[in-house]
Amino acid sequence: MAAKRQRMIKIRKLDKNIPKMATQVCETMLKDLEKARRPVLSAVKCSLDNSEYDAKKGYLVPKGKKVHSELNVSSVQKISRAIFLLEILLNNLKGGLINTKRELYYICKGLIKSDTLYKPLDFDSQNESDSTIDFITDMLEVYREEMNCFANDRGGQTYSKNLIVTETLPDNTKAVVDLSTLGTTPFQPKNKPQQFQLKKKGRIDFCLVVESEGTANTLVANGMTKRHNCIIMGAQGVPSNAVRGWCQTIQNQLKVPIFFYGDLDAYTLQNIYRTLKAGSAASLIRNADFSAPEVRFLGLLPEDVEKHDLHCYEVSIKDASEMRSIKKARDVLKNDPFFQDKKNKKLAQILKWLIKEKKRCEQQSVFSIDPKNPKVLEEFIVHKIKTKSYY
Amino acid sequence: MQFHFIKKVCPIKKLSKITTSSTAEYFAKNLQQVGFSSPVKAVLTTLKEAMDNSLDACEEANILPEITVEIKRAKSAIHSDSKTSKKKISPTEEKEESESMAAQLPGKNTELVEISVEDNGPGLKVEDLPKVFGEYLASSKFGKGRCSRGQQGIGISAATTWAQLTNASGVEVISKTKDMKKAIKVTVDVDIKRNRGIIKKKENIKWNKPHGLSALFRIVGRIQLKGDGGLITYLEGTALVNPHLTLHYKLADKEWRHIEKVSKEPPVIPPATLPHPHTMKLGEFISHAHLFDKVALSVFLKKGFSKISKKTLDDFVKNSLPPVLLKKKVQSFTDVEYKKIFQIIQKTKMANPTTRSVLTVGEEALSHSIQRIGEVDFFSVITRKPRICDHKPVVVETAIARLLEKALDSENAIIRLMRFANRVPLQFDKSACAITKAVESVNWKAYGLAQQKNSLPLGPYVFAVSVTSPFIKFKNASKETIDASEELVEEIRRTLMQTGQKLARHIKREKKADDLERKTQYIRQFVPILVKKLGDITKASDKRMEKAKKGIMTLLGQDTKEAQEALKTAETRLRDLHSKALITTNLEKTTTVKKEKVASFSKHQKRIEKTQTYRKKRVGKNGS
Repeated sequence: MAAKRQRMIKIRKLDKNIPKMATQVCETMLKDLEKARRPVLSAVKCSLDNSEYDAKKGYLVPKGKKVHSELNVSSVQKISRAIFLLEILLNNLKGGLINTKRELYYICKGLIKSDTLYKPLDFDSQNESDSTIDFITDMLEVYREEMNCFANDRGGQTYSKNLIVTETLPDNTKAVVDLSTLGTTPFQPKNKPQQFQLKKKGRIDFCLVVESEGTANTLVANGMTKRHNCIIMGAQGVPSNAVRGWCQTIQNQLKVPIFFYGDLDAYTLQNIYRTLKAGSAASLIRNADFSAPEVRFLGLLPEDVEKHDLHCYEVSIKDASEMRSIKKARDVLKNDPFFQDKKNKKLAQILKWLIKEKKRCEQQSVFSIDPKNPKVLEEFIVHKIKTKSYY
Repeated sequence: MQFHFIKKVCPIKKLSKITTSSTAEYFAKNLQQVGFSSPVKAVLTTLKEAMDNSLDACEEANILPEITVEIKRAKSAIHSDSKTSKKKISPTEEKEESESMAAQLPGKNTELVEISVEDNGPGLKVEDLPKVFGEYLASSKFGKGRCSRGQQGIGISAATTWAQLTNASGVEVISKTKDMKKAIKVTVDVDIKRNRGIIKKKENIKWNKPHGLSALFRIVGRIQLKGDGGLITYLEGTALVNPHLTLHYKLADKEWRHIEKVSKEPPVIPPATLPHPHTMKLGEFISHAHLFDKVALSVFLKKGFSKISKKTLDDFVKNSLPPVLLKKKVQSFTDVEYKKIFQIIQKTKMANPTTRSVLTVGEEALSHSIQRIGEVDFFSVITRKPRICDHKPVVVETAIARLLEKALDSENAIIRLMRFANRVPLQFDKSACAITKAVESVNWKAYGLAQQKNSLPLGPYVFAVSVTSPFIKFKNASKETIDASEELVEEIRRTLMQTGQKLARHIKREKKADDLERKTQYIRQFVPILVKKLGDITKASDKRMEKAKKGIMTLLGQDTKEAQEALKTAETRLRDLHSKALITTNLEKTTTVKKEKVASFSKHQKRIEKTQTYRKKRVGKNGS
């Protein structure tokens, strides 16, 4: 059954013809094989050692290293799987169909089950099919979303009384969402290309991205958005592409300062804050569109811990799992180009403090400053913004 | 009144009288110290002590040992005679009967067990039987500096005591020397108060053996066959490190098992050595000196110790030993002078003690013997040259074998570690042992074995590690664990690594074979898929696809050829290893070593004999 081809919203202006590129790759491979030459597939190396922090752009960019997979007995399985999945993705593009990574995993399983010839390709877990999809996108240097493969929606729940979002849909109709009319329901960006036009209904002084979705809800429920002209967004852990892209939209269109508030530990600093601000090493080719370089780190800061004597967890050296956070901080300082850049010297100092003190502090610990005051966190955050206590 | 008051408030207790007790009394109360700490251990220790005595006796007499062991649940307590019991009962009934009898005796989960060990050794004269089986510290090996299994003369007397304490009857012994026409059958008990053996029920019997000894113990214990403390584990281990042993055994209701000898030569027993002064403590040094009371210090040092020459005496003088003392008679020294002399000797650099006194099983014998423990897939053995560890001569031998029967189901199980000290299996307190520590310290992953950090490796392997030395330092009197000194652990570790290198060749060959198999399979599986999918995307003609298929087959075929060549190289190397290292070289090596040993034996023996004659003369003069 042929699906009716839909018009898709594009993330970026792409001058690449993906089906043509993919066919060209396969054609070259076939020619090589005909001549009994070993075909080689090359992809951008998406790892920290191939990352460079471009301070002007504000995000991680690839250095130029490539992963070359030459066809031999050891790589024949990987290459066969890549070509098998490439055909499925090309068919999706042709038919305007979309799938999540998990759906693609099951589609592969079904196709393999239906023909015994494909049995050797079988994926034991979704991780295997996911890494094959990543290899294809890195090889063609396109976004996963440009191959019509989308992740589940996660994070980015946004609250504000002064924000109006106009979304242009694929059929060119426009949907207008006034966030002040949504009541307790947040606005949530999707993990696929969306075209937004943002408008301020009134003054917006800042946008606050909170690591914990629950804490963001508490701030809204306690009336922070009513008392302050702001946008509050829950990141829900490591920011998804949707959150990163949505933050960039706010940054570019509203031109308001964006602050990130989260735990004081190496994981939050590298995996959450750095990913939001400068993108990740795993998605080097997508960081231009999925990062918000103007986001500032509001806290928690070591000075907050010292000033308010916040409750910290001691990291036991004897406990291997706890020691991992210290090890991570050391690794980050040693290997992460973002923290090595002089522009982010103060963030690197936080990591050094964590290593020295062997402590970690959670974002909710601020409630211990004045346990009877439900607005304590709101006051704490606003005070920090006013006194410019952020990096 | 006043006196009465004091007496009432502070009654002066009568001090208890200080008495002495015999050695037998001490051990009778502390049998747990010599291996009788549980019912399972009691059975195993009894068997072990009897076997050790049999093997030592055979080796002393240069006889190839043939030992028959039978362990069963006894049918009736105290006066059981298996020959007169004609009624046939099933094994289950036998167990129930034995347990019901044992239930009347102290200790839970125990049974009355009959342990019989019969050898073809030289046998013992009737006057020696009570000394051997009923008297503590009566030994022909004590302090001899030999690698014999037994040393102090405690073990077998302890077994008799245990039998006596738990079943009110000592050991039943049948003995026949080659000079006897009829064998003697006696029951030996321990006179615990006097530490003497007592003979009961002596009779002459017909025995169809030219010479030998049979010992029968009826004790309360528990039969455990398998596992670390199991009887089978012990017997298999003993067979492994005694290639010249023929063993027949029947355990509980199991069938008879016969293990034939794989070596036709009894081991060459190296001569005993004189002690080395650096291995002694001050007290031992003084006691040793008292044996040489009437001679000058220089004579005592030269004749009473190994590695002391005239040059060494000069070195002592250089290290501030007054030359006058060297001429002074030993009996005239005060304790302060002894201490001074001892300290000077300790700080003087001396040649290491001789390593000639160490006995080895040998790589060739070990490589035959390891195949007796089961169907072996492959194995590697190493016998290191004797070394000095902690001033004592030590030789370490290792054998690693992969068992075929276990290969399938124990890939993730911990290897079976067999530990030996002076060719006696060590079965308890594994973790503290020098051997275990050495095995754990090796990175076995480098040799192709799976291993978690600082643990024993995994897989269907048997690791046999034997430490032989005339002076093994055990952690306890029951000789279950070798003390883990740094030097000894390092020596064992090095031997294991050498064995691991040989083993790695086997594993490497296997991996190469697997690699070839995988590559061949991959070509068969993936070529059609890859070509089909490329054709589907590019819409290529069948002709092009066929050409591409041929091309890819050529490419991947090259990889397979490389894998075939790698396998061939690995196989050649392995074959070389088998032919050179295990057969040719070692045969030559063994022969050379034996010749050297014989030569050094005669030279050394003369020296020892001289010392012994001297001692005898001295003892005669003192009249003690």
